[in-house]
Amino acid sequence: MIEFLSYPFFQRALAAGALAALLCGALSFFVVLRRLAFVGSGVAHAAFGGVAVATLFGFPPLAGGLVAALLVAGATARAQGTSVSEDSAVGVFTVAAMALGVVALGFVKTNVDLFGLMFGNILTVAPADLLVLGFATAAVLLALAAFFRPLLLASVDEEGAEVAGVNTGAMRLLVLVLVGVAVVVALKVVGILLVSALLVLPGAAARPLAARWPALLAGSIAVALVSVVGGLLLSVAVDVAPGAAIILVGTVIFVVALVLGRSRRR
Amino acid sequence: MSVGVRFEGVSVSLGSRPVLKNASFGIPAGERTAFVGPNGGGKTTIVRILLGILRPDRGRVVFFEGEVNEIFRPRIGYLSQRSTLAFDAPLSAVDLVAFSLSPKAGFRRNSDAAAEARAALARAGLPEEAQAVPVGLLSGGQRQRVLLARAIAGSPPLLVLDEADTALDTAGLATLRRLVTEEVAAGRTVVYVTHDSDAMGGADAVFRVDGVVVEEPVDA
Repeated sequence: MIEFLSYPFFQRALAAGALAALLCGALSFFVVLRRLAFVGSGVAHAAFGGVAVATLFGFPPLAGGLVAALLVAGATARAQGTSVSEDSAVGVFTVAAMALGVVALGFVKTNVDLFGLMFGNILTVAPADLLVLGFATAAVLLALAAFFRPLLLASVDEEGAEVAGVNTGAMRLLVLVLVGVAVVVALKVVGILLVSALLVLPGAAARPLAARWPALLAGSIAVALVSVVGGLLLSVAVDVAPGAAIILVGTVIFVVALVLGRSRRR
Repeated sequence: MSVGVRFEGVSVSLGSRPVLKNASFGIPAGERTAFVGPNGGGKTTIVRILLGILRPDRGRVVFFEGEVNEIFRPRIGYLSQRSTLAFDAPLSAVDLVAFSLSPKAGFRRNSDAAAEARAALARAGLPEEAQAVPVGLLSGGQRQRVLLARAIAGSPPLLVLDEADTALDTAGLATLRRLVTEEVAAGRTVVYVTHDSDAMGGADAVFRVDGVVVEEPVDA
């Protein structure tokens, strides 16, 4: 294992994992508070459609994924206050984007790394991927820090926030757009099928043990970091897929936190 | 600053159901105004228009300072019977009130807002040891006091109470009445929706709302 740490590809994988953990851990705080687990999953699946369509027409796959994820995020935010509920909107857009992706892939003549797309391929992260991930993480963290107060207020009391002067519609859209960005840039780390778990598990695991927001936010980021780095090391130690190992480590932490949280309340 | 409000020909429909029809009336500055009437008559609709959460289909709402000076919608303190505050919100009472006082972009609460929040929580009768506790761990009565503190924090010129008295216990109701009296004495305008116009210790103006808004005589 020590030998692995000296390989540049593994060092890049660790750096990418840490950045993705920072990004998803911080966002997970809001995903859990706003109960957006299903929305995160929907946006991730929409990205699949975008990646497939972009591949078909020769555009950069991640750019296609980003456009699709943002379109679904925007449409979901707009669904609020209409006769279509948020989860119905996500449900419809998700399957439509997946279906579009499958149709598009049927016409693609080149070899597409479907397995890598679905389950991630963190060990093949290139320096350019790392740069994109670093830039996206910095941008998302800056946006979260700049709008933290209104985001938090709107997440725990939408009417109270609106009366206080918060543009709650804009805050809803901001969170969904940031989720869209996180999903697309973290695809390389855990893949489409698992990226939504990285947006839910850290906050959900920290929740039973943290009653106030500073502990919840720090705990969420810490759980994400331990899951990603621990999962990556585990994947090398027992030779399993890194994406799956990351999510399994996160799930174990979640279950332990749940048990500890219950025993503390007794 | 005392702020008054004028509704000018305001009509609102929710779906196809007209809730408020061509309502024109004035809420006097620096006084207590009560809205009474049956459920579904449009009282809460008036509150939501005042707060800026609901836009009228027709007509307009004008806020004014003094007798004639039109102003933008001022900061409004608001307390309702049913709050949308999440039961497990991970904020302390001080955080919730301070963040509501400075809700614009930023990360940490500012120290002025925190001091103002503590003062409001003390006025609302929340013990000091409960002020740092996450609101999700407070009792129902204590949570209502936190929301009351949020409504009065920062001395908003207009205080709106939507059947707030029905969610309070006897001690909480006494606190609310005392605070309303103090706010009006300080020149602030208090609007409340109620089934009992005497709930806040008597109103200076009473409007009956049932699709239309009609001013009722006030007993001397």
